[in-house]
Amino acid sequence: MNSGMEVSTGVARPAADEDGELLTRVLRGDEGAMAVLFDRYSKIVYSVSLRVLRDTASAEDVMQEIFMQIWRNPNSFVSTKGSLGGWLAVVARNRSIDTLRRKRPSEQVEEMNLASSYNLADEAERSILMERARAAVKLLPTEQRKTLEMAFFDGLTHAEIAEMTGDPLGTVKTRIRSALLSLRKAFKA
Amino acid sequence: MNTTNHITPDDLNLFALQLLPDAAMKDAAAHLKECEECRAWLGEIQADLVTYALTAELHTPPAQARARLLRKVAEEKKVIPIAAVAEPEQQKQPDQQEHTEPLLYPRNGRTLHRDEPEEREPRRWIAPAMAWAGWSIAACLAVVAGMQVDQRKLAEQDLSVATAQLTQSAAQIAHAKQVVDTLRDASAMQVALHVPLNAGAVPKLDPEGHAVYEPSSGALVFVADHLDPLQPDKTYQLWLLPATAGQAPIPAGLFKPDANGNATVVMPPLPKGVTARGFGVTVEDEGGSKTPTLPVVLSGT
Repeated sequence: MNSGMEVSTGVARPAADEDGELLTRVLRGDEGAMAVLFDRYSKIVYSVSLRVLRDTASAEDVMQEIFMQIWRNPNSFVSTKGSLGGWLAVVARNRSIDTLRRKRPSEQVEEMNLASSYNLADEAERSILMERARAAVKLLPTEQRKTLEMAFFDGLTHAEIAEMTGDPLGTVKTRIRSALLSLRKAFKA
Repeated sequence: MNTTNHITPDDLNLFALQLLPDAAMKDAAAHLKECEECRAWLGEIQADLVTYALTAELHTPPAQARARLLRKVAEEKKVIPIAAVAEPEQQKQPDQQEHTEPLLYPRNGRTLHRDEPEEREPRRWIAPAMAWAGWSIAACLAVVAGMQVDQRKLAEQDLSVATAQLTQSAAQIAHAKQVVDTLRDASAMQVALHVPLNAGAVPKLDPEGHAVYEPSSGALVFVADHLDPLQPDKTYQLWLLPATAGQAPIPAGLFKPDANGNATVVMPPLPKGVTARGFGVTVEDEGGSKTPTLPVVLSGT
């Protein structure tokens, strides 16, 4: 079931272990390691937050909060498998949605066991992955694309989406699932 | 939530998106702790969400964000456990506990007799005091050394932040200079874009655009106003129309108008040395297109 979706882009990838090493250094209180992690992942974290919040100051606040969480509790990720960049991208989305809904952000680090090993540390590879992701999204049927956008970037629940679009709840759920499955297939192709 | 004890695929997606109602989120979280199969499915979905998150347009955080983070990091210094260092010291404790007197007493090796109380009592007080004074001085020196190390680290950090800001500023200045050079270049091609005559109904304030283009460097600055708002999944796309007959329009940047209908495209990536006969603007799906989709909403030659 777990295919360990790994995307080969033909670009030399820095070892994922480097992130692990950086987190170990953060655990030891190495502030320089935090600077390296920020340089690697701040763009993706900030961009996802900005996409959700559409406000630069709020997006920066979310980004600062996430990186401080790494500083305070790097162990939380060390024990989680997968790509640090990918984890950060999803956490950025989740925290931004919390902010959008004025919900108190969870202090607990999201536990994720991503079935992927995206290397978002490397800028060139990240660009290729982004291009592929955008191309894959463009292939989705309009309804699926809109529903996924409303759920992921606008943080609307399936009930809210159903109310806004007039579609049945089940249809909304199915569209979200189908959109993600189609994305997976397109990305693996 | 399900009929087979597993979380349904639809609900697992909503759980990954953190969009289930609170009670259902708790139920799902409890189930996931016990169910390896559902955890594996969740991992796949979360990987899909990473893929989707990557579709967000990439933006660089504000320049001061890095310095702000590192300042906060420095303020919340970690306390590193020193158990490994302390352990050997602790191992000596049993031996030390056998002595009822301070470790360093007597330092001169002189034997003291019980019949010399008037001399012994002052020494019992002075020697430990001297010993503790020695330790105190050593501790103070360690603290001072530690502070110096911290200050040096902070200084190094400030230097690296300043260097990064300087590099970023230099790049921004170079970029701004190129923009200004393009705008001032007397030889630069200047094109005003208007609604084509056959584009149908004319709004009260016609959308219009103005492009300044310098072919040899490929530098382009485009400003538009009175633009109509777009559907969320649409974007405006600017096209360079090459002067060479038969050459396809070249994408010259995506843009969306602000609340006032204004938009700019500054220095999009364009090949150098392409002579333009004009520019056009179309409405495309989010992410842009490789070829323009009719109708052309603005054009100018």
